[in-house]
Amino acid sequence: MTHHSPVDPDVKEQSSSKIMFKKKGGWKAGPEGTSQEIPKYITASTFAQARAAEISAMLKAVTQKSSNSLVFQTLPRHMRRRAMSHNVKRLPRRLQEIAQKEAEKAVHQKKEHSKNKCHKARRCHKKRVLEFNRRQKKNIWLETHIWHAKRFHMVKKWGYCLGERPTVKSHRACYRAMTNCCLLQDLSYYCCLELKGKEEEILKALSPMCSVDAGLTFAAVHCLSGKRQGSVLLYRANKYPREMLGPVTFIWKCERTPGHTSESRQLWIWLHPTLKQDILEELKAACQCVEPIKSAVCIPSLLPTTSEEKSQTVLPDEKIGKKRKRKDDGENAKPVKKVIGDGTRDPCQPSSWISPATGIIISDLTMEMNRLRLIGPLSHSILTEALKAASVQTVREGEDTEKAPHHWWTETCKNPDSVSLHHRQEAIFELLGGITSPAEIPAGTILGLTVGDPRINLPQKRSKVLPNPEKCQDEKVRQLLLEGVPVDCAHSFVWNQAICKNVTENKISDQDLNRKRSELLVPGSQLVLGPQESRIPILLIQQPGKVTGDERRGWGSGWDVLLPKGWGMAFWIPFIYRGARVGGLKESVVHSQYKRSPDIPSDFPDCPAGVVFAEEQAKNLLEKYKRRPPAKRPNYVKLGTLAPFRYPWEQLSQEWELRVRAQEKSSGASSPSGEESDLRRDKLSCAPTPENTDPRSDEGGSSQSSSSKPRAGVATECPARLGTEWVAGQDATGSLPCVLRSRKWLKQLSTWCGPSSRDRWAARRAPGSGQPAPTRAACLSLLDHFPRALVWVSLALLRKGSPEPHSMICVPAEEDILQLRRDRLYCGPQEPKHSDPFKSEIRKQKEKKKVQKRQNQARAEPEGLAGAHPATGHPALTLGLWSGPLPVLTSHCSRVLLGFVTQGDFSMAVGGGEGLGFVSLTGLLDMLSGQAAAERGLVLLRAPASPQYRFARVAVEV
Amino acid sequence: MVRFKHRYLLCEVVSDDPRCRLSLEDRVLGGLIRDTIARVHGTFGAASCSIGFAVRYLNAYTGIVLLRCRKEFYQLVCSALPFVTYLENKGHRYPCFLNTLHVGGTIRTCQKFLIRYNRRQLLILLQNCTDEGEREAIQKSVTRSCLLEERSDEEELSDNGGEEAAEAME
Repeated sequence: MTHHSPVDPDVKEQSSSKIMFKKKGGWKAGPEGTSQEIPKYITASTFAQARAAEISAMLKAVTQKSSNSLVFQTLPRHMRRRAMSHNVKRLPRRLQEIAQKEAEKAVHQKKEHSKNKCHKARRCHKKRVLEFNRRQKKNIWLETHIWHAKRFHMVKKWGYCLGERPTVKSHRACYRAMTNCCLLQDLSYYCCLELKGKEEEILKALSPMCSVDAGLTFAAVHCLSGKRQGSVLLYRANKYPREMLGPVTFIWKCERTPGHTSESRQLWIWLHPTLKQDILEELKAACQCVEPIKSAVCIPSLLPTTSEEKSQTVLPDEKIGKKRKRKDDGENAKPVKKVIGDGTRDPCQPSSWISPATGIIISDLTMEMNRLRLIGPLSHSILTEALKAASVQTVREGEDTEKAPHHWWTETCKNPDSVSLHHRQEAIFELLGGITSPAEIPAGTILGLTVGDPRINLPQKRSKVLPNPEKCQDEKVRQLLLEGVPVDCAHSFVWNQAICKNVTENKISDQDLNRKRSELLVPGSQLVLGPQESRIPILLIQQPGKVTGDERRGWGSGWDVLLPKGWGMAFWIPFIYRGARVGGLKESVVHSQYKRSPDIPSDFPDCPAGVVFAEEQAKNLLEKYKRRPPAKRPNYVKLGTLAPFRYPWEQLSQEWELRVRAQEKSSGASSPSGEESDLRRDKLSCAPTPENTDPRSDEGGSSQSSSSKPRAGVATECPARLGTEWVAGQDATGSLPCVLRSRKWLKQLSTWCGPSSRDRWAARRAPGSGQPAPTRAACLSLLDHFPRALVWVSLALLRKGSPEPHSMICVPAEEDILQLRRDRLYCGPQEPKHSDPFKSEIRKQKEKKKVQKRQNQARAEPEGLAGAHPATGHPALTLGLWSGPLPVLTSHCSRVLLGFVTQGDFSMAVGGGEGLGFVSLTGLLDMLSGQAAAERGLVLLRAPASPQYRFARVAVEV
Repeated sequence: MVRFKHRYLLCEVVSDDPRCRLSLEDRVLGGLIRDTIARVHGTFGAASCSIGFAVRYLNAYTGIVLLRCRKEFYQLVCSALPFVTYLENKGHRYPCFLNTLHVGGTIRTCQKFLIRYNRRQLLILLQNCTDEGEREAIQKSVTRSCLLEERSDEEELSDNGGEEAAEAME
C-alpha cells in the first residue's frame, strides 16, 4: 500500500477537508462533488493523512453520547451501583466526565430541603412524636395508624384517617380469611354514646325513637339483662316509618346484683361516625339533656397529669445527663406525650350532658375505647391463643396497695365474689377455643374478661393457629352452646371509666418491656412481671354474621373486642402474629355485601348520612366521567340510562304510584276479584291494627283511621285518597324516601317473592299461604301503611353477568318470559339505541361560542361581555349525560324500571353475580301480581353502560 | 428493547486505479451491490436483502464503506460481496474488489474497529516507509490522530473492555 510519488501537499490538505459532517454526530463523509481535480497518484503521506482524518472523525463520533438518557442509565444493569445517581465517583471512570456535566444541569439539581433540620434530627423519637401529634390534629388517627399507613392505601373519611384497602393484591385472600381463617379489622372509628340513668327513664326516652314493627327495641329481654348485644334502627322521635336516623348496636351493662335493678343502668350505643351528629342531637332532645358537664374523663385533663408523672420519674436521669446535653433543660424538660384517643377534639367542647328532669347522663365516648373485629371461624382460636386471663394477685400484708399502679386489680382480688366470677369467666373463655365457628354461639353474646398483657407471650415468629377440635367433645362446651354465656359473666371492668383510665396510664411502654425481656437470665424464656404486669379489662361481643335468608347462615360471624384506649397496638400485633389477616374499609363493604346486609351509610337512602354519601358519590363519579374524552366514555343518553350516577328514589316511587293508579282507572272499578278480595282484605287489614302500637305517628295514624273506617268502599276510594296524597307529596319533593322495614310485611313479601320451584320447604314453613299471589287487597293495605316506599331486595343472576352499582332493575315483558320458557339459555333482551337530543344542542352551543368569539374579537369589549351571558346562563351540557330535569323514569326504556342496584359484584361466596338494591314497593307488588307462579320474582338487570338485559331473581330476605 | 436488529459490514474498496476511489458514490455503490445480489441469489435474495439495506458511510479517500442490512439476511450480502469486481460511474469502469474488514451489530462497534484498524495501518505504513520526507509526513499525521485522541478521550481507544458499555449506549 505504499506509493512513492511526488505530490504537492496542498491537494491532500484540501481533500481531507472534503469529509463532510452531516449530522451532529459528524462522521458522515463522502465526495462532496466530482468537480475537484482528481490526483493522479496517491502517496503514503496522503494515505496517512486520510487515515488520520478518519480516525479523528470516528473518535469524535464514538465519544459523543447518542441517546438522551442519563449516563448512568446507559450502563447495563449489572454495572449499576446504588449511589451512582448522586455520586459521580461511583460511575466507571470513562463516564465520570459526562456525568459530571449532566449533574450540573439545572434539571437534575436536588431540591432544597424544606425542613431546616437534618434527616437524623427529624427522625429522632421526640421530634417524631411531636410531628405525629401535629399531624393528627386535623383528622383523628386510630392507634394502629402507623401500622396501617405502611401497608394500606389511606383515605381521609368522616374525620378519620382510615385504611381503605391493603397495598398488596389481596381481594380473594381476604375473602378466604373471612370464610376459612380470620380477618382482623380496626373498628375504633365507630362512635360510642353512653347513657346513664334509671332504666325506666332511659327506656321511656328511647322508645319513641324505635319501633316494635321494625324489630326488637332497646327493651328486648336478653339485651336488657346485659346478656346480649342488640341492634336497632333509630328514627326521629315518633316519626316511624319516615325520618330514619340510622342503624345502631347497643349493649346494656349487666347488673351484678339483681337486688337493686333500676337504680342506675349504663347503656352503650355504638354507631357509625356519619350517623353520630344526628343521633346525638336526637338523643339529647329525647332525654332532655341540655346541661353540659365538665367531666373529669375529658382527655385534655389526662394529658398534663401523665406528663407530670413522667417527668417525675425521668428527673434523676436528667440530672446525670444534664452536662452532656445542655440544649433542653428549659421548657423542653417535660417529655412529649403521645396523643391517645381523639386528637382533634376541642378541650372546651363538652362531651357529656345531663338532664335535670330525668337524671340521664349522655356522654360521648368516641375514641375512648378501641374496637377490634375478628371475622371468621378461626377467631376463637386466635382469641384464646393470644389472650390469657389475668392471674389472680394475692396481696401480702403490710404492703401499701394504694400506691401500686394496678391497685384496682389487687382490690378486686381481695373480694372472693369477684375472684370466683373471674374464674368462671376464664373457664368459659377457655371453652371458646373448642368451638369450631363463632356462629354456633347465640347471636350477640357478651363475655367480659380481664386479661394479662398480651405482649408478654408474643410468639417469636408469625404463625397460624390451628383449631383443636378434640375440646369440642367436651360436655361443658355442649352446655355452653345450649345455654349461652350466663348473664353475670358479661360483667367487665371496661364499663368503669376510672379503671380504664388507670389501665391506660399504667401501660408499660414497649421499650421498657423489651428492656426487661433482654435482661432475662435465660434469653427467650417467659417474662414474669408479677404485680407489675398490667391487667386489661376487655369485653368480647359476638357478631352474628349473616342472619337473613336461608343459605350460608352464620357466614362472616366473629368477635368484637372492646379495649380501653392506649392498648390498641398491644393487642393488634399479637392477633396478627397468630395468623389474622387485616382488612380495610373495602373489606367491610365486601363483608356486608356477602352477608347481604345493607352497608352503612351507602345503603340507607332514607337517613341524612346516606343522602350526603350519595351526593358525594355522584359528584365523584361525574368528575371521573368528565375526565375521559367524550369518545372514550359511554354515552348514557344513547344507552337510555337516565341517572348513571345517582338514585332518583323519590321520583321512581312517585311515578310507580301514578302508574298503578292509571292502570286501575283504565281497568275500571269492575275488577273481577273485587268482591272476594274484599273479604280477604278485611282479615289482612284487621291484623296489623292491633299490632301496630305506634299511634304517635301522625301520618300512620291518619291513614289507619281512614283505611279502617270506610271498609266497604276502599277499592274505589283508595285511588282518590292516594291521589290527594300524591299531590301533597309532589309539593314536598325534597323529602327523603321511605324504606319498608316492618318485619311482618317483609316476611309476607318474601313469601310472595319466592318461586314455587326453588324452595318448597319455604312454602311448608308458612302453611296456609301456599305460594299465594299477592292479593290486591293485601297489596292495598300494605301500600296504605307505606305509601311510596322502597324495599331492600337481593338479586341473584340466573346465568352469567355480574351487576354493578347503579344497575337498573326492570320488569320483564311478556315476550321475555316466553322466550326464557322456550330457551333456558336465553340471556335476555337488548335495549334499542336511543337518540341523543342533546347532541345537536351541544354542537349548536359550540358553534355559537365560536361565532361569539369571532364577534368578540371583531367588536369592542362591552358587547362581548353581553354576548357571553347566554352561554354562561345555560347549564353546561356534557355529552352523554341527561341534562335538566329527568323525564319519566319508569317508561323511558323498553322495559319498565323498578329500582336500582346499590351494591353488586361477582360474589365469591355464591359463585355468581349477586346484587343488592332497592325497588319501589308499588312496582314490586304490581310485578309480582302479574307474574305466573313459576316465574314469580324474575326481573331484568341492566348495567348503566350496557344495552344487555340479564335475568335475575328477586328475593326479600328477613 | 424491541428494535430491528441490523448487521453492519465494514468494507474496504481495493483498486489499483486511484481514480476509482474518487468516483465512489453511495448511490452508485448501493446499486452495484444490489445488482450483484440479484445476480448471485436471484429475485428472492434481492428482495430479502433490499429491506433495510443502505450504505451508511463512505469515505472516498480511504475507500472505507459501511453497509447496513437486516440481521436475518446479512450472509446473503456477505456472500455476494466477492462478486463485485468493478465499479461503474459515469461511463467509466474501474476494476476493483471489496474487502470485508469487520461485521458488527452496531455502528458504534464498527467505528471503534475502524479506529483501531486505521491506527494499525498507520503504524505499518510508518515501519515500511523508506523515504525521509514521507516518514515525517506520516509521523505528523500519526501524532495528530493521537493528540486528538488524548484531547477527546484517552480511554476510548486503550480500553477494549469498554466495548460492551458502548454498545449499550447505542
